[in-house]
Amino acid sequence: MNPVPGKRPRHLWRRMLWGLVWPRRFERTQPTISGVVLIGLSMGIGTAAYNSASNILFIALALLLACLILSGVLAWLNLRGLAWQLEVQPPLRAGQPAEVSLELSNGKKFLPTYALWFEFAAAPRDRLGPGRPESTITAKGIDVWAALKKAESEQLRGTVHLRTRLDPGARTRLDWMFTPAKRGRVRVELRGVGSLFPFGFLRKLTGTDLSREVPVWPAPVEYRRLAGATPRRPQGELRNASVGHEGEMIALRSYESGDSHRLIHWKASARKRRLLIRQFSSQNSDACSIWVRTDQGLWGSPEQFETMVSLAATLAQDLFRAGRLQSTAIDAGQPVATKRLADLESFLDRLSEIERAEGGAVPGQARPRMNVMVFEPEGSRGVAAYVNGNKTAAT
Amino acid sequence: METRPPQLSLDELQLVRWLLGGLLMALSVATVFYLDINSEAMAAVALLGVLVALANPRLPARVHHWVHRLAFPAIVAFFVLDLRFTGQLLPAIVRLDLMLLLYRGISYRARRDDLQIVVLGLFLIVVAGVLTVSLLFAAQILVFTACALCLLMVVTIADSGEGGMSPKLAVRGVVPPWAAHAEWRRLLRRLWEVSDWRLLASAAGLFVGVVVVSGLLFLAIPRFQLENSLFLERFVTRKAMTGFNDSIKFGDITEITQDDSVAFNVDLSDPAQAPAQPYWRMVVLDEYKNGGFKLSAALRSELGREHTSANIQSGVNTGRGAPTWTFYVETGVSRYLPILGRFETLRFREAQNYRFSRDLSIVALRDEPASMTAYRVEGMQADSSSLRDPFFAARWRSRGPVGPPLQLGLQLSDPDKAVLARLDSEIGPTVGAKEFAAKAIDWLRAKHRYSLSPHFPDGAGDPLVRWMASSEPGHCELFAGALVLLARSEGIPARVVTGFKGGTWNAYSGNYTIRNSDAHAWAEVWDAPSASWLREDPLAVAAASAAKEKGDAAIAGLMDRSWSARLNSLRVFWYRRIVNFDQQSQAETLNAVKEATGSSGKWLRSAIADALARAKVWARGPWDGPRIAEVGAVLVLVGLVSRLLATGRWRLVTFGARGKGDPIRREAGRWLQRIDGPRALRADLERIRFGPAPSWPRPTDVFGRARRAAASSRRPARASSQSTS
Repeated sequence: MNPVPGKRPRHLWRRMLWGLVWPRRFERTQPTISGVVLIGLSMGIGTAAYNSASNILFIALALLLACLILSGVLAWLNLRGLAWQLEVQPPLRAGQPAEVSLELSNGKKFLPTYALWFEFAAAPRDRLGPGRPESTITAKGIDVWAALKKAESEQLRGTVHLRTRLDPGARTRLDWMFTPAKRGRVRVELRGVGSLFPFGFLRKLTGTDLSREVPVWPAPVEYRRLAGATPRRPQGELRNASVGHEGEMIALRSYESGDSHRLIHWKASARKRRLLIRQFSSQNSDACSIWVRTDQGLWGSPEQFETMVSLAATLAQDLFRAGRLQSTAIDAGQPVATKRLADLESFLDRLSEIERAEGGAVPGQARPRMNVMVFEPEGSRGVAAYVNGNKTAAT
Repeated sequence: METRPPQLSLDELQLVRWLLGGLLMALSVATVFYLDINSEAMAAVALLGVLVALANPRLPARVHHWVHRLAFPAIVAFFVLDLRFTGQLLPAIVRLDLMLLLYRGISYRARRDDLQIVVLGLFLIVVAGVLTVSLLFAAQILVFTACALCLLMVVTIADSGEGGMSPKLAVRGVVPPWAAHAEWRRLLRRLWEVSDWRLLASAAGLFVGVVVVSGLLFLAIPRFQLENSLFLERFVTRKAMTGFNDSIKFGDITEITQDDSVAFNVDLSDPAQAPAQPYWRMVVLDEYKNGGFKLSAALRSELGREHTSANIQSGVNTGRGAPTWTFYVETGVSRYLPILGRFETLRFREAQNYRFSRDLSIVALRDEPASMTAYRVEGMQADSSSLRDPFFAARWRSRGPVGPPLQLGLQLSDPDKAVLARLDSEIGPTVGAKEFAAKAIDWLRAKHRYSLSPHFPDGAGDPLVRWMASSEPGHCELFAGALVLLARSEGIPARVVTGFKGGTWNAYSGNYTIRNSDAHAWAEVWDAPSASWLREDPLAVAAASAAKEKGDAAIAGLMDRSWSARLNSLRVFWYRRIVNFDQQSQAETLNAVKEATGSSGKWLRSAIADALARAKVWARGPWDGPRIAEVGAVLVLVGLVSRLLATGRWRLVTFGARGKGDPIRREAGRWLQRIDGPRALRADLERIRFGPAPSWPRPTDVFGRARRAAASSRRPARASSQSTS
């Protein structure tokens, strides 16, 4: 068994011996009912053999023990040469099913692999970062219990079975579906590979170190689009959202990071000794930017803040799809032009991790500029989006 | 297009599971037939039920639901009543086991039920093995283990889709899908299709590994002697053959001689001391009444009280150099153990309840052994032609006119006594027991021939006396009995001894084999001057000198090289190395392994030293052209082999075995042989036959084209044949 095909783990024997003393994470071997019966049977026959000095019973005992050894050898052979790779198909979105794939290949020359199961887990990473280290020895038992229970409840688990024989040299793909509950980063891991093979005496679970950490974008929300809130004509500071540039050129502006090189006006740039970008009439007719503010003073309620993040993500996607998203910014950060899909994904990635900022107002966010969409609480639960002071959307 | 090797479907796996479970039950139920516990009828019913349900997996659905409801209470009630009325625990448990197996055999099984089958079957086989200690047990447990492992593996694979949990059983009365379409011939065909010789070879190799490992474990499991051992045999009662009991009727021994099976085997530590014609004494019978001899109460009292131990120390010192005899007496022979004569020590494998008489040289176990009885006798006198008996001598000297019977009693009517006296007078005057016995034997042999089917003449009086007075042929019991009566009539104490005479020497395992056909009866007459009992066998035909032969000369006359001896050597190996394996044998084995390791190490060292010395001599020789060419060729060969091994190219020599098992490739091969069609079609077929799978065209289309091409090639041929006719 090797997560990386063709690579032999170092110090295999040392690790195996040490593993007997200190088992790896999720490494478990438990007897099944058959196993308990076998152990009981062996003990009974052994006792009878010593009591009666009957070599027939000693033969039966020896055969039972040899079967136990064979069981271990076959279980080892079953997992030997097996390689797996974990793939998580982005994007992951809170509240929507996500697919985790396990590419499984049998590297053995002529022995197939049977009857395995794979235990997956997806646990949200703490968005607040590492907290104060606490000891389970000094902490109160009830607190430790509560913390463990919370972590357990947040963790999503699933098991996928290999239902068919995996022939030597063959590959297969197993899928696990799960639904992340909330935005943030989620750690998807293959906790272990289990097997009852060959005789079902022992339930063996082999721990693996295979994991992937992926962002979970905010859940989409339904919102009301409000009419009459169209952006104004630009004043020369808007950026294009799409590559197309129909219409007549209406202005020049300074180059900003992310601008297409095809839009550079080379003659004007040479004259002015700085890069200038051409702007066309069709680009800026109804485009806007999104500015997300996270200050706690504005968003008192965490639920309202989550709604805001979801609304921002949903609007960003809708605007991008309509070619109307110019740039995005979070708090005092520099606006980032949103021209390609990667730009939008980067914004959604950042949205998946933002938290309410400490303190009151964030510097530099006092006055929104023209055609910038900002968000404000509406009522006790709702959130509204404003462009140029007009409410354009609300949850 | 990538093709996958065929796999069994889940339904087919369930059918294999049903098949293996049924076989396992049939195998274990069959053991009851040779257990001899009066359960043959029940075993037959169970076997029949299991086999019928096995052949027709739809049948369990027809079992009425009340059967399932009442099965468990009924089985428990039967067990309780069985135990109550028979009072025999082990047979009752075996019958309970049979009923449970029968019930499992006629109902659909979940995982735990399959496990129950394995445990119940193992119980039956182990009990049968312990009780019979038969070589058959070895074969049976191996087959059982292979079937059980296969069953457990199939169960694990079939249930793997449910995470190891057994799928829910079908609703009672409903045939599960796998059973509804069960067809054994199709299953066998599918098994043939999915089988891979490499997998089968690996499985066979692993099973051989299990057997080897279990053999090593058997040798290595530490043994220690527990004095209060558990006798499983106690729970079963057996009957011995009537001939070797403490009373016989004429004809009992002869009946035993009709059976040619092995009665016991005897190992001798020093074959050079093997006697040519051993007499294996078992029972001494001294009381004659109404045509039968029996052990008298007086003689029975000489056997003393019952002892319980693993060793019998007789107190007789036979001197050094006497070989050790190891007896393996089969079940059902007798509770009296065969021995040649006086001995120093008799050792059992485990503690036994026995009675022993040093003067009579008889060892009698309390119960008939339910399994093979093994014991080792040290310091035994192989020649029992005369048996010294100081106790009887003292009684003989101090006998009075009225005293205890001194093996002289004649419970005969006066006319019979008169006939005896007349017959004695026909023998003539003699001096001493030896001379009388010789003359009496001559007289008997002159008057009667040997026959296994004697005829007693009609008339009144004792049958033996009537036979003696006639000239009818007779068997050994009649001859021995007649000699005893004649001797007693003459005032010489005499008795009948039953046991075995002679035997064969197994040329393969090097031991005596005594069969039931060697059963015999002879007489012992008291010789007062030597204070010993003289063995007198009226039917002994061999010359005295031949009877005294020992060692190779004796063995040569008894040598058996037949097929039955070959088979019996396996049984002896089983007894010697497996059944009789004990703490001492373990120590001997370890010593042997140690010595073998030491000697092989020495041999290896000396072989290496010799090889190095030869290499030195060879290297000093003249380096001419042929020698350089030889060395070069060897180096090139070594290099090539190393390279092949390193690069894995050795797989080239597997002759494309990888493609052989693919049914699609095989089908393409068959079409290529059958048709001589268009070139494009042949190219496609060749691609499927030999090319890599991803480059294949769609096989079904190609085979369809091939079928049409074959049909069209047949049509013109038929047309032309019609036109010519």
